Amino acid sequence: MQIEIRATDRLRGAKALDLGSVLTSLAHAAREGSIDLSRLRVVCDWVQYRSNFREPVEVRRILPRALEAARSPRNGPAGNGRSAEPEAWEIAIDLRRAEPAQLALQLAHAMGAATSSESSSTCRLYLEDWGPSSSSCLWAFNALYWNALGLWEQTTGREYEQALPGGESDARNTAAARDLILELFHVWDQLAARRALPEDLYVLELGVGNGNQARVWLDEFLRLDRERHGGEYYRRLHYLMGDYSSHVLERARANVRQHAERVSTLVLDARAPSATLGFLRYKAFLIYISNVYDNLPTDEIARLGGHLYRVEVRAYLPMPAARQIAAGLGAEPADLPDLVNRLLQLGPELLADAAPERFPGGTMTAVGFWRQVWEALRLEERYVPIEELDTYEVAPGIRGELLRPIVEANGDVRMHVSNGAASSFADSLPLLHPFGLLQCHDLFVTDVEQYRTSFRGPGKYDGSVVNWVNGPLLAVIGRRYGFDVHFQPFAHRAGSNITTLTARVRE
Amino acid sequence: MPAEPQTDMAPATSDRTVSATVRPEPRAQPSRPADRFALLATTVVGSYSVPEWLERLKTDYYQRRISSAYLREIHEVAIKAAIKDQERAGVDIVSDGELRRDNDIDYFLARMPGVEIPHLAKAFYYDYYDAVVSHPIPEPDDTDRPPLGLIDDFLFTREYTDRPIKFSFTGPFSLSRRVQNQWYRDEADLVMAFARILNREARALAAAGVAVLQVDEPFLAGYPEQVGLAVRAINAVFEGVDRTTLRALHVCYGNRYARPLWEGHYDFLFPAVLDAQVDQLVLEFARKGYEDLDLFRRYPNAPFSLGLGVIDVKSPAVEPPELVAARVRRALQVLPPDRLMVNPDCGLRHLPSEVARAKLRALTAGAAMVRKEILGQA
Repeated sequence: MQIEIRATDRLRGAKALDLGSVLTSLAHAAREGSIDLSRLRVVCDWVQYRSNFREPVEVRRILPRALEAARSPRNGPAGNGRSAEPEAWEIAIDLRRAEPAQLALQLAHAMGAATSSESSSTCRLYLEDWGPSSSSCLWAFNALYWNALGLWEQTTGREYEQALPGGESDARNTAAARDLILELFHVWDQLAARRALPEDLYVLELGVGNGNQARVWLDEFLRLDRERHGGEYYRRLHYLMGDYSSHVLERARANVRQHAERVSTLVLDARAPSATLGFLRYKAFLIYISNVYDNLPTDEIARLGGHLYRVEVRAYLPMPAARQIAAGLGAEPADLPDLVNRLLQLGPELLADAAPERFPGGTMTAVGFWRQVWEALRLEERYVPIEELDTYEVAPGIRGELLRPIVEANGDVRMHVSNGAASSFADSLPLLHPFGLLQCHDLFVTDVEQYRTSFRGPGKYDGSVVNWVNGPLLAVIGRRYGFDVHFQPFAHRAGSNITTLTARVRE
Repeated sequence: MPAEPQTDMAPATSDRTVSATVRPEPRAQPSRPADRFALLATTVVGSYSVPEWLERLKTDYYQRRISSAYLREIHEVAIKAAIKDQERAGVDIVSDGELRRDNDIDYFLARMPGVEIPHLAKAFYYDYYDAVVSHPIPEPDDTDRPPLGLIDDFLFTREYTDRPIKFSFTGPFSLSRRVQNQWYRDEADLVMAFARILNREARALAAAGVAVLQVDEPFLAGYPEQVGLAVRAINAVFEGVDRTTLRALHVCYGNRYARPLWEGHYDFLFPAVLDAQVDQLVLEFARKGYEDLDLFRRYPNAPFSLGLGVIDVKSPAVEPPELVAARVRRALQVLPPDRLMVNPDCGLRHLPSEVARAKLRALTAGAAMVRKEILGQA
């Protein structure tokens, strides 16, 4: 049995967790159970998100690789058409929520479930089939949150920014904006001296939030430009605000109305900005992205025992929660998957119209249903072998081979692929002017080792999903596209988890 | 193999200023490549698509996971395929795809006498080395083999094709931009020292039968104030080169990682480039637009022909042959057909193989359409 403890910073100090009791419970459960301990690994995380997609103890199957399955005598002769039995398991413990008094029982139950032939469908209401994390319905919930943000905020009584740590986004930091603007001025002044500065000066912001960042940035830009250039650069500035939510864009646009002549808003998919902004190729002097990448779909991959696996998930509702939600609608739990599907397709307003018998209170009742389901939503996980890395697609045009240097250099590890962030980043770089700069403030893992020391998602931020972004992968992508990528802690707020990624053309 | 022509090149012990002041040779007629090749002959700029698997193998070599012997054989197989692709696409003048090269600089600097490279391993094969010059670059010796060994690359290519071959190498100005110069007080002396080494290579390549010998200056657009020095160095490179070889100069706005390094217009080349002892300018137009063709109107006595860029190598979108033809026709408003060759904007190295093949097919089909129009009129 292999035990991996990722919560290293929780093992010391005055509030160090009681690891001894966890290990004792584990040893007890192992002694009593019948599971093949040579094929069991146990991983202990500290899941810092109070709202997340996990139970305190989970069991995950590790499916056999094709070669291994064919060789195994337990699976019968190769090619007999029988599916291979799962041959290994992982038990995941959330140390933050694991109750010592219940842990031994929970572990025994998990070990029993791993080897039991009984279906788990009696205690879980599944909302989808197995698939990679990036295609799970949790991302449809995430999209719904941004598209129906106003309704969500109406029921919670607070704006989404208040859900962020510190209660506001670092994007509205004036000092950070000033540094960036002065850097731009420096580049522009140099190009102007060589008569190489284009007439139109483009700045692109992807994911505009409530427009606070844009307002701070444009106010500061105008002030500094008036001081230094008499407003000439401001006159030539085109500030493009891109977001996939027209509701968000409308709100952001209202926030920068005093700069309306310089601002354009575009509905776009942050994962493929050049599809909307083809005209901007090689023209953007600055692409600014704040707290977007951590909110884009991602897969996870794992290297276990030297072999690569993709983490597959299927969303479910624990049956007690499903019964409670269904009862509130006068329905049966079996009705819920269809209702959830319709919610994700239609949104709460149209759902209430389409199913008035379930939502007699109208839209806000449907929003209540949405919030209940979201709160109860869990992800069951399993590991599926990746036989050929080059057949795995990180992002359009980026094959899994790009991951090889990372996974081969860092031993066994489970990490995010940050597919959405990788796609957005790779598709943004061609928009940059040869002297352009991409700057991104977000939650970044900057060293693969960090995946071994703490939990990096997914978690729930209000109604949205958060995953830390795989920085080393973005650095590899940047290199592949001819950019130097640097990370540094956000310089303008002490104690912030935010990291600043900067990408510039490399010589 | 014909004997190498005698050269006016200064001997190794001479004052460097001798070849630093190469005088332009008088030229009676502008260059007409159609005298030697097909009308509107098609060619490549040099590099060919580098597949992802080859990039990985190259990187494996630079991280010492495979041997140089393995890599050489891999390169040879890839080069044969690249030649075949060009031939099947109907390209008139082919290249080896520059597939042996790690990038446009290091392949030459790593072989250049007097250049020191402290760390030979690379995290990614395409990265640039940190190269240093801390002592004088040795003067080339005509009695020795040319030091960079480019002749072997050419001879290999010649074994596998009967078509005329273009051979290109990076020019002395651009090479000098990637070197930490700790010896020469005047940067121009380093440039000219490189030029003398490259001249030794150029004469040998021409003597061996290279049809088009092209000097690439990928960094020149970033240093427009130094065109005079670059031209002087190019003249030194081509000094004494057999005149049966078409001498070409390629200047673009950069193609590293399929991105432009600079933006601007080719007017920075003029009038200094008029003194360049070259038969052809090979220029980028497809991505940037064709406004700079007007330079050939503004300088009607420009002595060179034009290698017209008609394929955007920074975009995976394949141009239809009709678009290629339209671009050629536009150039014909400025230059006669016997002073035009047709090529991509730059090397194809960053394009996927299937895209590179399709673009070359479009290139030759488009050129053929215009050629047919012209010959039909004749």
